[in-house]
Amino acid sequence: MRRGMVIDLEKCIGCSSCVVACKQHNAQPAGNWWNRVVTPGSDRHLTAPTEGMEYFLPIHCQHCQNAPCERVCPVGATYRSNDGTILVDFERCIGCRYCMAACPYGVRQFNWEDPKKGIKKYGYQEGYTYGYPYDYRLEGRLVYTPVRFKGVVEKCNFCVHYLVKGLDPACVRGCPGNARFVGDLDDPTSEVSRMIRNKNGFNLLREKGTRPNVFYLPPKRKEV
Amino acid sequence: MSNIKKIGLLVTFLFMIAGLLAYGYQYKEGLVLTNMRNSYSWGLYVSSLAFFVGNAAGGLVLTSLIYLFGVTSLKPFAKIGALTAFANVTAAMISILPDIGQPIRLYNMIVHPQLLSPLVWDVVVLTLYAGLSLLYLYLLMLPDLFGTPLEQIALKVDNPKEFSEKWAKRLAPFSLVAAVGIHVITAWVFATQGGRDWWHSAALAPDFVAVALASGTAIVFVVALLTYGIKEQYQQAYRIMAIFIAVAFFIHLFLMYNDFFIHIWYSARDAVDTLSVTVKDYGLAHAFEVAVPLAMVILLLSSRVRRKTGAMIISCCLLIIGVFVHRFLLMPGSFDKIPLTISPLGLQNVEWAAPIASGRYDLALDTFVTKWHYFPSGIEMAIFLGVVAYVGFLIILAIEMLPIVREAE
Repeated sequence: MRRGMVIDLEKCIGCSSCVVACKQHNAQPAGNWWNRVVTPGSDRHLTAPTEGMEYFLPIHCQHCQNAPCERVCPVGATYRSNDGTILVDFERCIGCRYCMAACPYGVRQFNWEDPKKGIKKYGYQEGYTYGYPYDYRLEGRLVYTPVRFKGVVEKCNFCVHYLVKGLDPACVRGCPGNARFVGDLDDPTSEVSRMIRNKNGFNLLREKGTRPNVFYLPPKRKEV
Repeated sequence: MSNIKKIGLLVTFLFMIAGLLAYGYQYKEGLVLTNMRNSYSWGLYVSSLAFFVGNAAGGLVLTSLIYLFGVTSLKPFAKIGALTAFANVTAAMISILPDIGQPIRLYNMIVHPQLLSPLVWDVVVLTLYAGLSLLYLYLLMLPDLFGTPLEQIALKVDNPKEFSEKWAKRLAPFSLVAAVGIHVITAWVFATQGGRDWWHSAALAPDFVAVALASGTAIVFVVALLTYGIKEQYQQAYRIMAIFIAVAFFIHLFLMYNDFFIHIWYSARDAVDTLSVTVKDYGLAHAFEVAVPLAMVILLLSSRVRRKTGAMIISCCLLIIGVFVHRFLLMPGSFDKIPLTISPLGLQNVEWAAPIASGRYDLALDTFVTKWHYFPSGIEMAIFLGVVAYVGFLIILAIEMLPIVREAE
């Protein structure tokens, strides 16, 4: 079992619902974003770099099979679970940020300050809380907590706390275009494997040799 | 104690206190007080790790030159070498501490070390090197410990002089390996990272060694000048040290520009963009890190300059500052260029960098950024200066309290 994701760029409408769902469900501190959607080639999201040429690209942790972040972590706080998902143990991370230097996708986020202070600075309404409210431990390791520690790194965990409930990640469920799919990449008959085969699935930064478990399906040529 | 030493101790002590207070404040508030961002996640602290590790080199290389290659004229400076090595390698470890978000959890490095991480190797070899340089210092001081208040810590051997000489010789090969090892492994922390083109180069580790031999020897040089002066009997040693610094620095220039050259010739867009951060965006700093040490090296090679204490000290210090700028420039080339650069489907000749969440809230700034012009914050600089002061403080104190400076017979 190797859990992976396929994102169909033809279906993505660039609405950033997945970004918001991810942020909310995972109780991400004020300045942190595990997920982002961009318009390649354009400085401004949702604006075509050339008329008729826009498409949208959601980017989050690629859960690489050859993950540099996992190798550089001096304490094994970033580690790979049995299904190939790269997780961060919030209780073990020492905050050296080596993984952030190692990751070529820019998806790792650091808690530069106490998240509670950040929420105040951002001007969130008093007493407002959000996100899945309970700690989640995988074999004893704290891989999700609604209130983060200051000075630790965090990133997409493929919603590991929802997996046990039989639920797909928040971004998959929150996508109005139904552009996201999760499944077993080791199984050649799974929906995700078939989509990658039949629709020319590709990875980001293939040349870096990270072998991501997140695949993208190219958008079709748009009509002008 | 002379007045100059007293003033030196007082000033460095005050800077250490200021650095400590700054660290206390940062510990309480978090790394939000630094000017780093998610997209620029390592700054002055990590640069200073590389800087101090480099400075630690000269010492033990010097001792191994004496005991392995028989350059006996350097002998009076051997203890200074071991001392500056110890001071700088411990400074390297101290300077990286404020970069750690959860310093209390550092015990995890011992309880759960992840052996593939170059950072783990670095901690191991820096600790070993600190121990080795301390041991060296002790061995070299041993004959002079008798008859001083420090006699009680002296090893009781029949012939301390012979004993010291014998063991210094035996340890020399290990210290040479360890001295080269700390630079290679510190360089590997960066050079192993395939995600960052600026670091991912086979030239980085040898270049680290070359830079370290220049700056580390320059520090020994400064301390030797301050303690022994420019007397005629040391001129031969100074000449050797000057040549050593010059050769090391020329090799550094060769390794660095060799790396630049092959990328510029092939002119792949990504590689040229990476280089342009250093040579264009940080052009002045790059000009400084090359031109100033180069000029100083040329000055040091002149036998007339070598007879003027002030000129030599200034030359060595400017060379060290140039090396510091070089270490600072380790970061922009990596963090001012976003590794996730894509050629958008259907567009010609476009290389586009995917913005990264800055991790900070700032009304005036974008949430997602492609460039962050990092310059260390006041807190970062105060902490760094505190560590520099620690090196000075330790060296002055050790020279005052320990039998380190002994005029040659």
